[in-house]
Amino acid sequence: MTCEELRPDYTSYALGIADNPERAEIAEHLARKCPDCTRGMASAMATVTAMSGAVELTEPPARLRRRVMGTVEQTPGRQWAGVVVPWAITAAMSIALVAIGLSGRRQLGDTPKLQQALSILNDPATRDVTFGATGKASQGRVFVNPGKGVVFIGANLPRLDAGQTFELWVIPAKGNPIPDGLFRSQPDATAVFVWPGPVENAMAVEVTVEPLGGSAQPTTKPLIAVKP
Amino acid sequence: MPIPGIFLALQMSAEHDDNLALRLQRRDPEAMGDLYDRFGRLTYSVIVAIVRDAALAEDLLQETFLRVWNQAHAFEPGRGALGPWLLAMARNRAIDRLRALDPDVRERPAPSVEPALFVDMDKKVLNTDHPRVIRSAIAKLSLDQRKVIELAYYEGLSPSRMAERMGEPVGAVKTWVREAVKHLREALGQAGAA
Repeated sequence: MTCEELRPDYTSYALGIADNPERAEIAEHLARKCPDCTRGMASAMATVTAMSGAVELTEPPARLRRRVMGTVEQTPGRQWAGVVVPWAITAAMSIALVAIGLSGRRQLGDTPKLQQALSILNDPATRDVTFGATGKASQGRVFVNPGKGVVFIGANLPRLDAGQTFELWVIPAKGNPIPDGLFRSQPDATAVFVWPGPVENAMAVEVTVEPLGGSAQPTTKPLIAVKP
Repeated sequence: MPIPGIFLALQMSAEHDDNLALRLQRRDPEAMGDLYDRFGRLTYSVIVAIVRDAALAEDLLQETFLRVWNQAHAFEPGRGALGPWLLAMARNRAIDRLRALDPDVRERPAPSVEPALFVDMDKKVLNTDHPRVIRSAIAKLSLDQRKVIELAYYEGLSPSRMAERMGEPVGAVKTWVREAVKHLREALGQAGAA
């Protein structure tokens, strides 16, 4: 399709509601840096941005600024998105950690996240699956609760380059993988990651290595793939 | 309707966004705080309005800000519009989460928001006038046009899904969307794309 034919759908695309074939065509034009479509899409993005002016303002909790700041103040380098939970000194989390052979306890630093993790771990509706085996391969356990989210606990995770991150995906029964957060491992190659929120109809959970900042869809072969 | 103070602040500080982007690229943690102070409330409001879950909204906001932090190197200070880029990322993540609950739309994740799409964007797109203008423009839409714009912005529904929801033909829905967008763009003084 020509740029002129696609023009009426720029804003629908910017809103994320365009249907195919227009959606695929615009994506293709943008991928090859079509100047007309890039310019038109920037204008459409401005329209969508302006729509935020109609949103009823809601005051965020004061702790949210601290959360945001806390994740970038840990080190001066690039950081990971998502929520990495330190080892928990609690019975339920300890059971989970022991179950997968991880050792050590670290100071609890994010109580709300820990509570979310425990809520998932302790819910009867939670399904869990172990991955990996003893040895050098990555190993761990994934807990999936359709209404509450995912807890990922891993060890022997591969070392990432400075420009890489792990990204967790929920694979639905139908459609493309859904990105559910970014995380990096600790220096001892372990990670505990919580993604809160509904994950209904999850057929599998996967972890891939992605460029820092994450990807909209997986760009590498899954490092870990489990079916809870 | 009075204009929320946050938009006054955004207008007053718009000229500082280039400097803020540069500081983000230099990995200045204080820049993250300034970014939050400038756009945190609006970003949180957009996410909450979409996912309607305060705890989830906090997580999505945190992730959005960190994505900006990690991708700031790709931004073009002096040409890019930092706030619109941040808001687009936030809305898309929220819509993606919403779609995760709807098996019929999972194959259609929100489009990527490459920084290049925010180059040379009007940096005053979030200024004082726009809330008043956009609210006034939305108020003037027909009921059907207003409905489809709300379903598009807050739920990310495609015309075909809107048609199912509203019990109307897809063609009519597409027409309402295009007409509504056209009216909004005219009100905002934007030309070109529909």
